[in-house]
Amino acid sequence: MNDFLLWLESTAFSTWVRESTSVFAFPAILSVHAIGMGLAVGVNAAIALRLLGFAPGVPPRELHRFAPVMWIGVWMNTASGLVLLLGYPTKAFTNPVFYMKLALIALGMWLYVVMTRQLMSEGRPGLSGPEPNARFLAAASLVCWAGAVTTGRLLAYTAHRILATW
Amino acid sequence: MVDFQMWLVQTFARATPVAAMMRTAWGWPIAESVHFIGLCLLVGAIFLFDLRLIGLGRRIPIGALHKLIPWGLLGFAMTGASGILFLMTEPDQYVYNPAFHLKMLFMATAGLNALAFYITSYRKATAPGAPDEAPRLAKIIAVASLTLWIGVIVSGRLLTFYRPFPCGPEGPGFLAECLPNYYR
Repeated sequence: MNDFLLWLESTAFSTWVRESTSVFAFPAILSVHAIGMGLAVGVNAAIALRLLGFAPGVPPRELHRFAPVMWIGVWMNTASGLVLLLGYPTKAFTNPVFYMKLALIALGMWLYVVMTRQLMSEGRPGLSGPEPNARFLAAASLVCWAGAVTTGRLLAYTAHRILATW
Repeated sequence: MVDFQMWLVQTFARATPVAAMMRTAWGWPIAESVHFIGLCLLVGAIFLFDLRLIGLGRRIPIGALHKLIPWGLLGFAMTGASGILFLMTEPDQYVYNPAFHLKMLFMATAGLNALAFYITSYRKATAPGAPDEAPRLAKIIAVASLTLWIGVIVSGRLLTFYRPFPCGPEGPGFLAECLPNYYR
């Protein structure tokens, strides 16, 4: 494992991510990661709030129109996250909080798929308000994404090994 | 301007109990998490509303989607409250930081832009029976809003990379003494 991390950190790309002083390197990658977070978590939060009963005039299934915004956010963060990971692989892989963050994101994405399925069934004749099940999913989703954001922030404070050479 | 900056730094540096709380192991990380969760709520409510004004999700009544805006304001309050805690703890790192100046400029403009929406287009766009299509001016305001808020986020992320260099013994307020000389 350590040999792999040493090799990864010695590659030109990884070194560039860490050491470039260009504003288009690390600062730009972090900015993309923050905007993508806002889009992905923001759309999830809006859907969850609707399922909890807020903004009742919004037809639930129509919220599905914002799905592409959520997916743009997800792909922005997958790409920028991978670049950050290539820059500091040891820092992430040796920190248990990183795995917690990934698990919370996976759970959040799963809840998104289940929630949107609920959205699509809403508004069918015979279904009026959100079902209790939908409310539970929505609350779980909000908690999950808040957890993903928090563990993401904590990565900066909980890392105990920054580079494989240390 | 330099006098105003010195006054700001010295005023914030007086909030020592806040700084002491923020310097505990959990203070800064918790405030940062609140700041980022607030950002997500703000984007979730405001970006979706702006996108709706531009034309995405036309079957959602504009007035109905506007009911999510209070959640965006809650998000803004979360970022504002935690942001002030950062400012009170490390005033030098913000008051003399060009990225922070830019961020405040973007934020103030976004505020005026939102005000322009409420003055010119809110009633027309959200009246019962209003057309699906938002007025042209509302669309322009929505594009400006998206651009300005992205500017706020990006300049916020750039803060760390434009920190002023310390030029004296460290501690909150230290730059107030050395930077005016530095500028002369």
